Amino acid sequence: MNKKVSLWERYLTREIGIEFKSCLYFFAILFYYCMYRLVNHTYTADILHMTEMILLCYVIGYAQVYLFHNFDEAWRFGTAEILGFIVCTAVYTVASYLFGWLDHSIGWTIGLLVYIVLLYICVIFIYDTKRKIDDKELNKNLELFQARREADEDEI
Amino acid sequence: MKLTINQIKGAEPQVSVTYDEMTPEVERVIDLLKGNHLRLTGKSGDETVVISAATILYIESVDDKTFAYTSDKVVQLKYSLAALTEMLNDIRFFRCSKSMILNIDKIERLKSLPSNRIDATMKGGEHILITRTYATELRRRLQGGRGHE
Repeated sequence: MNKKVSLWERYLTREIGIEFKSCLYFFAILFYYCMYRLVNHTYTADILHMTEMILLCYVIGYAQVYLFHNFDEAWRFGTAEILGFIVCTAVYTVASYLFGWLDHSIGWTIGLLVYIVLLYICVIFIYDTKRKIDDKELNKNLELFQARREADEDEI
Repeated sequence: MKLTINQIKGAEPQVSVTYDEMTPEVERVIDLLKGNHLRLTGKSGDETVVISAATILYIESVDDKTFAYTSDKVVQLKYSLAALTEMLNDIRFFRCSKSMILNIDKIERLKSLPSNRIDATMKGGEHILITRTYATELRRRLQGGRGHE
C-alpha cells in the first residue's frame, strides 16, 4: 500500500527542512542587519558578516530540529521547546555581539533579541495557522468521505 | 425467503428487499449487500465472540497478538495484521501505521500535527497518531473518488 521510505529519503526530507529554515532566518537577520547599516548611512554589507550569519543559521537550524523538537513548528510547548526558544534566541544575540555585526552596540543588540523573539513568534503563528487551515480541509474531506459512504450504502 | 431475479435490458441494476419483520436472516442479507458482511471471530476475556467489521474502531497488533477495538469491547483476533489487511480490503479500512488499521468511518475528527503527521480522534475518544508516510495516503484516500481504490 505505501512505498517504504528509505533512510536516505528520510534524512533528505529533514535536511531540506533545515536548509529552508536556515535561509528563512538568515534573510530575516540580514534584513535587520541591513536596516542597522542604512540607519548608520552605510550602504554596503560585510561579506564576512553574511557568511557568519548563514553558517550560524545553519548550525542553529540543526539544533532546532535535532535537539529542540523543531520548536518553531510545535503545537505544544514542553521543556525542550521553551528551552530551544530561549537558547536559540540567546545564541543569535550573543553571536551578533561577539562577531560585531552591529558594531557591538548594546542598544541594537537588544533590538536584535526582541526582533528574533518576534520572528520566532511569527513563525510559530504561521505554522499554527497553516495547521488550522489543514485541519479544516482534512475534516471537510473526512465528512465528505463518510457522507459518500453513507450514500453508497443507502443506494445499496 | 423467496428470491426473484429479473433481467431487464437497459435497466439500472438494483436490489430491493421486502420484508414483514427484520429477522436475523433479512439483516444478514442487507449487511451482505451493504458490504458489512464480514464477521471476525475472537476472544473477549474468556468468551468467544463474533464481531462485525463495521463495528470495529481500529485494530492494533501488540507482541504478535492482534486486538480489535469496538465501542464496548476489546477482542483478541486470531488473524495477523497482514491477513486482516487482506480480509478488510475495503476503502474504509486504512493501514495507519506498521501495527494498526483504523476504520475511517469511525473517525470523529482529524488534527494536523507538525511534520505532516495527523492525529485521528476516534468515536470512542481514542487518539491515533498517523505518521507522515501513512498521513499522505490518508489524505489521498479522503480526497479520492467513490468505491474501492
